[in-house]
Amino acid sequence: MSARQLGFGGQVRAVWRKEILDALRDRRSLLSALLYPILMPLMIAVVFGAVAQLEGSERPLETPIVGRDRAPNLVAWLEERGVVVLDPPADPDAAVRDGEVDLVLVIDEDYGEQFRSVEPAVVRIVHDSSRTASLSSIRRTRNLLRAYSSEVALLRLLARGVSPGVMQAVRVDDLDLATPAQTAARFFSMLPMLLILGSFVGGLNVAIDTTAGERERQSLEPLLVNPVSRTALTAGKWLTTCVFSLASAWLTLAAFLVMLPFVPLEQLGMQLSLDGPQLLLMAAAFAPMALFASSLQMFVATFARSFKEAQTYVNLLIFVPMIPGMVAQVYPLQPAGWMMLVPALSHQLLLIDVMGGEPVAAANLAVSAVATAAFGCLFFALTSRMLRQERIVFGRG
Amino acid sequence: MIEVRNLERRFGAVVAVDGVSFSAADGCITGLLGPNGAGKTTTLRTLYGLLRPDAGAVAVDGIDAVADPLGVQRRIGVLPDAHGLYVRLTVREHLRYVGELHGLDTATIAASIDSLVARLDMGEIIDRRVEGFSTGERMKVAVGRALVHDPPNLLLDEPTRGLDVMSTRAMRDLIRQLRADGKCVLFSSHVMQEVSALCDEIVIVARGRAVARGTPDELCRRAGEEDLEDAFVRIIGSDEGLQ
Repeated sequence: MSARQLGFGGQVRAVWRKEILDALRDRRSLLSALLYPILMPLMIAVVFGAVAQLEGSERPLETPIVGRDRAPNLVAWLEERGVVVLDPPADPDAAVRDGEVDLVLVIDEDYGEQFRSVEPAVVRIVHDSSRTASLSSIRRTRNLLRAYSSEVALLRLLARGVSPGVMQAVRVDDLDLATPAQTAARFFSMLPMLLILGSFVGGLNVAIDTTAGERERQSLEPLLVNPVSRTALTAGKWLTTCVFSLASAWLTLAAFLVMLPFVPLEQLGMQLSLDGPQLLLMAAAFAPMALFASSLQMFVATFARSFKEAQTYVNLLIFVPMIPGMVAQVYPLQPAGWMMLVPALSHQLLLIDVMGGEPVAAANLAVSAVATAAFGCLFFALTSRMLRQERIVFGRG
Repeated sequence: MIEVRNLERRFGAVVAVDGVSFSAADGCITGLLGPNGAGKTTTLRTLYGLLRPDAGAVAVDGIDAVADPLGVQRRIGVLPDAHGLYVRLTVREHLRYVGELHGLDTATIAASIDSLVARLDMGEIIDRRVEGFSTGERMKVAVGRALVHDPPNLLLDEPTRGLDVMSTRAMRDLIRQLRADGKCVLFSSHVMQEVSALCDEIVIVARGRAVARGTPDELCRRAGEEDLEDAFVRIIGSDEGLQ
């Protein structure tokens, strides 16, 4: 009858339309594309918020002191520096152990005597170092006490006509060359990893469902009896997976930006400024990434013997692009030219530059995009070639 | 018009099809009859281009299935051995997909679906998602998929498998209707009654060979039996005796 021969583009379009419809109705595919991009940045924002609270110096230091009458000068000095002195709990040890207070300062009974006779006067900090939440209070208290001790010692030396320099053999000056933006970028090196993960998680279920799932449902044979080239078939499925992968990466980025204002960056001594062009650059860098992640996942899922096996393989695959990021956390990578050829690794490096406010070499960007897209096309070609093999179509039992 | 000549196909050491030859004419119902594992499905799969023959030739309307599988696929409608559906799509979406893959325009697809709804009695299910369909309903979708592009040749692999009496009768009526439309219908079955009730021509396949062919009456006469089932057993049995 009137069946005209369908061109390659028309075939791809027909497959794409069906697969998009199918995937949009698949709760699992939607979840993996939508849930991750919103949950992960949210989790990071919460963690950052908690870290900021631990580090927060704005919070007044509330310190219960036992025997405050024995050291009125010290207590007055502390109060001058913003310490809120509280009445001590009945049982300081128990209170610290139960986490009711961060620490208790105990002024020794002989403090006054020791102070007057110029012996080291004893002040005890009762604390629990296994409690992360109280570490900051302990550190601040200790620093304050140290400062008070040197101040008094200094006055005593001056009173005896000795230069205070005698007490200080070495003076340590800190000169931190890292700009706040760089520190922030290092801390935010999580973002590239999040986005790379987003690309992999987003299309994961679609990649499996359109390949291993198609065979497991026994719908592959009826599909292949239609006059459509295997290349067009694979391309339609690939494009569908790419849409989910890219949407997931971009959603992750968007969710991150939405949550950024709620993270107290300044409190952590960091600043991160991303302007429009930088954001577009980051977003664009993930288009080739989606091509790569999708075809790699489809290749692995097509190779698998069953849906379950495909799930196992593709889920394990997620860890592969995380390796460069993890290595970079422990062992800072020296960026080298060849790294731009490696998908995920090049994205990690490029994005750290972008976030650090450093200019990104156009050549690097181009090499990364071309190399990543080329790997994507390679796995696409391998997948559509596999689909021509009888043992893949009918399973290998 | 379907032609199979000296078709051979092995899977490793197993010879699935060992020199099968037959032809199926337009306006005729041809049945491939044989026990399980006789090579029926393998023969059909080489015809619709999913398996490559080791030797011999398969052709549909003069088009070689090895040289031009897409050309063959444009001229056939297939109910394959495996006919899984997409649980999240409606019946209409299934049929539209196949229509689109065959390059039909929207209006042609819509008209074709309307006529299939009437022929297969799918009025109630046409816009339902296929999840939870009964075997009969699923078979209707699968058959609809084979017919939506109105192909001149039909390859049906065990079209009544799993169907109840009513559905089986409906399927027989449909196959007769296709013959009346002048189609070339080739179907496989291991159910004797099925084949004897429908076929103009029967090809008996056993252990990868076409051991006999003819009308039901001719086969009975040749075997000296009155009943086709007895003729079938005798034909296969005598073949065994020859080896």
